[in-house]
This record gives sequence, structure tokens and C-alpha cells, in this order.
Amino acid sequence: MSDDHGSSLISARVRHVEALLESRGLLDAGEIDTRIDEFAAGGTPANGARVVARAWVDDGFRDRLLADANAALPEVGLSMAGGLQEQRLKVVANGPDEHHVLVCTLCSCYPIALLGPSPSWYKSEAYRSRVVRDPRSVLAEFGLDLPAGTRIEVWDASAESRYMVLPRRPEGTEGLTEDQLAGLVTRKGLIGTAAV
Amino acid sequence: MTAYAPGDRVRTRTADPAGHTRLPRYARGATGTVVQVAGSHPLADDRARGLDVPAQPVYHVRFAARDLFGDGDHGVTVELWHDHLDHDTEGRA
Amino acid sequence: MSRINDVGGMAGFPAIVEEPDEPRFHEDWEAHVFALNGALIKRGVYNLDEFRDAQERLPVAQFLGSSYYERWFAAISTLLVEKGVAAPGDLEP
Repeated sequence: MSDDHGSSLISARVRHVEALLESRGLLDAGEIDTRIDEFAAGGTPANGARVVARAWVDDGFRDRLLADANAALPEVGLSMAGGLQEQRLKVVANGPDEHHVLVCTLCSCYPIALLGPSPSWYKSEAYRSRVVRDPRSVLAEFGLDLPAGTRIEVWDASAESRYMVLPRRPEGTEGLTEDQLAGLVTRKGLIGTAAV
Repeated sequence: MTAYAPGDRVRTRTADPAGHTRLPRYARGATGTVVQVAGSHPLADDRARGLDVPAQPVYHVRFAARDLFGDGDHGVTVELWHDHLDHDTEGRA
Repeated sequence: MSRINDVGGMAGFPAIVEEPDEPRFHEDWEAHVFALNGALIKRGVYNLDEFRDAQERLPVAQFLGSSYYERWFAAISTLLVEKGVAAPGDLEP
């Protein structure tokens, strides 16, 4: 939204505020850079893809994941504790007749600790205003045309829980390894605006 | 405070608060069903006012789109604090 | 009074636009704002709900005319003044 001039202006203001807070003892030298590096090394959609692939090959894990995702995540070496505080994760599974899709209508809540930052469209008023009211047409705009008989469930992340969609395993993938299956899973699949 | 349980029918408050709230406008005054108790936390509406308040139960409450917007065949699940809800007693024998 | 952040079910926003291969941050300063907010919340200068509230209190025209992280920085600036950490004039280079 900023042009180059606006961008350099706000950039200077941010640096100024950082220096001010350092001088007042509210920031440590290097603290911001450390946080940026930690964040870059943190959540990514690949984490969600690993969770999904494990659930596709291991029914026991799938059951545990859907019952209590926070307790199941350590089985694949993951947790929801990477953010400001550990957050509750609820995984919702697509089925033959139901499809789940996530939104935060009030702000932009998203499982950042697990999946990294959300895409800009997820944070946009355009998506947040419409998906809760008319999810079928929004999903169609994303290229996901659901059969009329598929029930759509929208999850509005309005409080402390974060959500992730468990897509359906595509047909014809019986011969793939867990790693290959993970490679099929997209961020949009984890949000519910794509089938996988 | 008696916590709600899965299956309970609840109605969201209709109040139009002066400040921050985590009860979305589209879900005000609507009747839905508690699907899960999701831990307990201090009410965000109060924390935003700088108040130090005790935790209260938080619930996943599912609404039929028809009960929110008058039409639609989907469901919308909103996560709400106990203070956002009342027992729905209408329509009961 | 309902606030401009509370958009669920609202009409009139532009089409949804996807950005292919979107970076985690579009500008370096955005990453700094993200990290700054986390640092200030961790230190207890303000809490996450106060931060959301401060964004929601922005004038509507400013809110809609600002990018995502411009809103964040405006909210941080508001809270630093309100919490007595800085005078308004301190925040400008």
C-alpha cells in the first residue's frame, strides 16, 4: 500500500522508535534482530503438511490429532508453543460430505507458531467479510467448486483457539511415501480454500 | 457460574459494547449449540480495558448460517467466552 | 458501537486477490514492527487485547487506508503514548 517514499518514511519512524525504546531500557540491543531471525526459523506450511501426511498414513495419529491436536503434535516433533504463549490447536477434518474453511473475522488470528505468517488474502477485509456469509462462492473463486451436497463449515478464530484443516487424501496416492504425500499439501489446503 | 456443556443451546448477548469485544457483530443475539469447551481464559473484552480478571470457560459454539443471516446452508462456529452467552430457553416446553 | 475491524458478513469490499509466491514480509520495516510488538507484549508494556483494541480505535478512514503493518505500527505508537512510555513528539524522528 505504501509507495517508496511512504515506505522509507515509516521505515525511519520504526527505527527511531526502536532506538527510543532501547534508550529507555524497554528493548535490548539486538533483540529485534534476534526475534526476526527466530520467527524466520519458526512456523511454516511445511509443518502443517507433515502433520497431514502423518494423519493420512496413520489412523491412530489421525484420531489423536482430531481429539487433542496439542497432545498429538509432539509425535511429529512439533508444538504450538512457539508464539507469545502456547495456543490450543483444533484440527478439523474434511470428509466426503463436509468441507471446513478458516477465517478470523475480527482480526487475523492464524496458527502462526505452526504455519508461519498467513497470506495477505487471509488478512484482507475482502476474504474475512465474505467467507463467513457466502463460503461457497468464495471457495469457487479460489477454484474450489464443491458439490451442492457438500456441507461447508466455517470456523471463525474469534478467541484463543487456532485451527487447521485436515484435507482429504487425494485418490491414487496409495503408492506415495509420507514425504511425498506431505509435498502435495498446500497452505490453502490447510486453511480450506483448496482441496489439498 | 455453571459452565455450559456440549449440546447446550445458547443465545449470544445483544449488547452493543462501547469498546473491544470478541463477539462478532454478525453473531449477536443468535442461537447456537455448544460443540466443545475450549479451556478457560480471562475475557478479552476486559483485558483490552486493562482489567485483571479471572479466567472463565470458552466455548466453540456452532450456528446455522440461517440463524445468523436468514439464509445459507453452511455452519459457522465461533469461539465465545461464557460472558457472551445465556442459556437459550425459548421454544422449550 | 461496532468497529471497522468487525467485518464478518459485511458487503462492499473489493475482490479477493491472491499474491503468488508472497514473501513473509514485503518490507524490512514490517518484520521490525512484528518483532517490536512481540517484544513489548513480552515485557508487559501492553497486552495483546490492548493491541487489538488500539488498532480498532484508529479512525475508520485511516484504518482502511493503511496496510496491515501500518495499522500495527499506529497501534504500537498509540499504546506507547497511552502507557506513558513516550510523549507523542518522541515518536517522530
